[in-house]
Amino acid sequence: MSGKPLGLVFFPAFDWAISPTHPEREERLLYTRDQIVEEGLLDMDTIREYKPRLALREDLERVHVCVPNIMSLITDAHRVSAGGAITAAEAVMRGETARSFALVRPPGHHAMRVVHGTRGFCTINIEAIMIEYLRRHYGIGRVAVVDTDVHHGDGTQDIFYHDPDTLFISFHQDGRTLYPGSGFTNEMGSPPAFGSTINLPLPPGTNDEGLHTILDELILPVLADFQPDLIINSAGQDNHYSDPLANMAITAQGYARLADKLKADIAVLEGGYSIEDALPYVNVGIILAMAGMDYSKVIEPDIANSVRHQADSTTAYIRNLIADRRAVWNARDSLQKEAIQKAGNLWRRQKGIYYDDSGIQERQTESVHICPHCRGYLTIATEAQGGRFACQSAFIAVSWRDSCGRCRAAARDEVMQAKKQRQYQHYFLQDLYQDTLEKI
Amino acid sequence: MWLGIDVGGTFTDAVVIANGEILAQAKAPTTHTDLLSGILAAVDLVMHGMVCSGVERVALSTTIVTNAVVQGKTDTVGLLLLPGPGVNLNKMLPELPITLAGYVDHRGRETSLPDEKEVIKACEQLQDRSALAVVGKFAVRNPRQELQVARWVKEQLPGRHVTAGSSISGALNFWRRTNSAYYNSAVHRHFGEFSTAITTALQQRQITAPVFVLKADGGTLPLVVAEQNPVETIFTGPAASVLGIMAMTAPSGETVSLDVGGTTTDIALWQDGLPLFASRGARINGFPTAVRAFWMRSVGIGGDSFVRWEGEQIKVGPMRLGPAMALGGEYPTVSDALIVAGHVHFGDRAAAMKAMEKLTRNGGSSENTAALVLEAAATIIHQEIDAMILEQAAEPVYKVDDIINGRPIAPELLIGVGGAAPGLAPLVAKIRGIDYQTPPGAMVANAVGAAVARPTTEVTLRADTSQGIYTVAELGLRQKLTKRSLTPTDVRDLARQHLRERAVQSGINFETAEVVYEEEFNLVRGFSTIGKILTCRLQVKPGVLRAICGKEGVL
Repeated sequence: MSGKPLGLVFFPAFDWAISPTHPEREERLLYTRDQIVEEGLLDMDTIREYKPRLALREDLERVHVCVPNIMSLITDAHRVSAGGAITAAEAVMRGETARSFALVRPPGHHAMRVVHGTRGFCTINIEAIMIEYLRRHYGIGRVAVVDTDVHHGDGTQDIFYHDPDTLFISFHQDGRTLYPGSGFTNEMGSPPAFGSTINLPLPPGTNDEGLHTILDELILPVLADFQPDLIINSAGQDNHYSDPLANMAITAQGYARLADKLKADIAVLEGGYSIEDALPYVNVGIILAMAGMDYSKVIEPDIANSVRHQADSTTAYIRNLIADRRAVWNARDSLQKEAIQKAGNLWRRQKGIYYDDSGIQERQTESVHICPHCRGYLTIATEAQGGRFACQSAFIAVSWRDSCGRCRAAARDEVMQAKKQRQYQHYFLQDLYQDTLEKI
Repeated sequence: MWLGIDVGGTFTDAVVIANGEILAQAKAPTTHTDLLSGILAAVDLVMHGMVCSGVERVALSTTIVTNAVVQGKTDTVGLLLLPGPGVNLNKMLPELPITLAGYVDHRGRETSLPDEKEVIKACEQLQDRSALAVVGKFAVRNPRQELQVARWVKEQLPGRHVTAGSSISGALNFWRRTNSAYYNSAVHRHFGEFSTAITTALQQRQITAPVFVLKADGGTLPLVVAEQNPVETIFTGPAASVLGIMAMTAPSGETVSLDVGGTTTDIALWQDGLPLFASRGARINGFPTAVRAFWMRSVGIGGDSFVRWEGEQIKVGPMRLGPAMALGGEYPTVSDALIVAGHVHFGDRAAAMKAMEKLTRNGGSSENTAALVLEAAATIIHQEIDAMILEQAAEPVYKVDDIINGRPIAPELLIGVGGAAPGLAPLVAKIRGIDYQTPPGAMVANAVGAAVARPTTEVTLRADTSQGIYTVAELGLRQKLTKRSLTPTDVRDLARQHLRERAVQSGINFETAEVVYEEEFNLVRGFSTIGKILTCRLQVKPGVLRAICGKEGVL
């Protein structure tokens, strides 16, 4: 142990729910609170609790473009959970804590750059907001995000898909069997960031052994190669064997050992809906592991009833997955050159995005403008149907913090041009060098 | 006629109060190795010339438990835990525990059972212990296993005191309940002996009134009840002090109080007429316990604080190098400045003037120097108040509404007691731009506080309608609910019934009981609501039985 405590931002939002019987409701962290308080964790010298700050609009708009505007889409709770992630990270940056855990809700990893509503229980992406805050205020460069939620962290992937300085690794239950239906191995980042997105879809029934094989043999070596300034863990807990919304077989010990090995600088809670049988134990396990304390006695009372045998086919699949992904990782530089050559100066993709909580269907066209001198810039054309605002469309240009002057000007010109043609209802320019989101 | 006694670090103070006035006050040196003799000396002094049989109530703030711990007069305790899964506490307790089978989960469900044979075996190892403590994780949600094991232990080791963790506190925190239960057992015999001795000694003096003991949370317990929970009577000094302030000034709204002593000033923040509680329980020998106490901060400014120049700045405290020069000391102190400034009148004024002259630079007057000194002392206290307000505002909260609408405490009134308060309190109030009061009688505030402290009690009722049960941890109770659905009002009514039972047993007036904490959660399984979990903590809050006019009595 380094002698510094673990920073803990615990914010269960006991007065906030998506709807009364929604999995994201007041009760979600009640039993976790009970366990944490009963264990005396908040009194230990190895743990220091922090009150979350309230994230500012500028913190959120450094990441998101909300249509029609941010304040109509979010609640105060979102500003608290994003602020909680920032508070946790700042405790580490200021040297007060060795690491921090933002045990907060509502979660964020399904929220993409463009936001029309709430999807996968997420409206704004609290890790992404935290990371961009750290880059702006603390000059952080390379960041690795390891998403250990059972669902693919498609929002985080989307936000960092064109960013070579953010390595995004997500393991999750195979998208063919679970929401949001993405996160396949061929999603590897756009050409300027090729290889910095790594998806590890796992078969239902994967257990601690399978998970730790992939961690030891793939995730940890890749992290060592990437040499990030910070490791962020999107610490969803729904890979647990008792989770009602998924089908994996991970235990509290499996999660605690994961936290112990990963040694994330900052962990941020994501999903996890086995609120009585998993969350109290998984959270205590993660807290103890991150605080450098003995977690060996954190064992679910019902563990004898759990089915945790992993199919041989799963074990074999995982072996192949590791070999395959390692090969891509090792060849990433030459593969990236090929991808850039193939794309020329424009890489384009179309996406359909469903907002399950808001009943919105979005169509998006993303265009990455590739520049030989910088990271280029991005334009997004979006149209959303359904939900509270019925029909919303926008054209958005994003220039990065290190985009060259020409690309920044080109991004602005494109929005201006689009506005003249009046095809969309809203026009936005997100200039991350200036740290502004302008409605044009 | 009420008799109040406060055992302090140096002096034991006693007061007699009647009709809201201090009839008499007395002081005797505290006798640390035999507290009783100092207490009785103070009692005899204060009762001199009065009719002892006229005493209707005796209340005592004592360091008996603190002393027992500090002086190692504690018993050896065998610690038996039912920890189930979770943190490994073995190296974080005053004694290596014996870990037993059995577990109750967060909903109070028994997920594994205790084993009598294992308990018998454990007791064989604990034959040499004078007392025992049995603590189960989540026993406050279902005390059955903890109480069952405690009974088995009593059968195996008869005649020895056994503390069950859930009887100590109804609040979650297994680690703190374990430490509390340990120390409760450790001081049980010592406290019992003291209790018997003082009862006998008072009876010999024809004082047969009920005796109450102050608790760290400002409540009092009848002596016989305190014998079961002696650990609650540790660290009562701060409680006595704020209760004294409450009795003499009855603050309302948001207030800050200062108790300015010789070497330190104790600061408390008040809301709605009550000082704030510390968010965490007290520590005993470094171990966190479930003993609740008022939240106080000490800053090293008092009448005896040493004053000197450091570079271009006048510095005050935190060290004390002896008494004021006005009282024959060698170095200038805050008291010397107070005397020169005319705020207090004692000792040799000429010597105090000399102290200020010693400090004067650039040909200023002694009065100017005294003002500089007091300004510096007041500024330090002012900054410490600000630091407390910031710390309070940084306390974590768990609701969005509390984050959005929470605001820091903004004291509108400053109350100063203690010797140097008349000089310093107005200055601190001026810096803060608020009003102040310096009630008289403050020299015996602690004994007054003890004398008028209200007996308190509480219950924590938790109903789980989907299981159809409720528990009252403090009573070791787990019962079936008669109704399938409950409202918060139902739960309050049920809590009130049990509080009444508990209060009547202890001879405590329960009419003023208030809800101090409430929670209501819907239980949803598979998208439908299957019940509610409701929690209600009902408390007869700490307070004073009556206001006291702080006219100084004649010694």
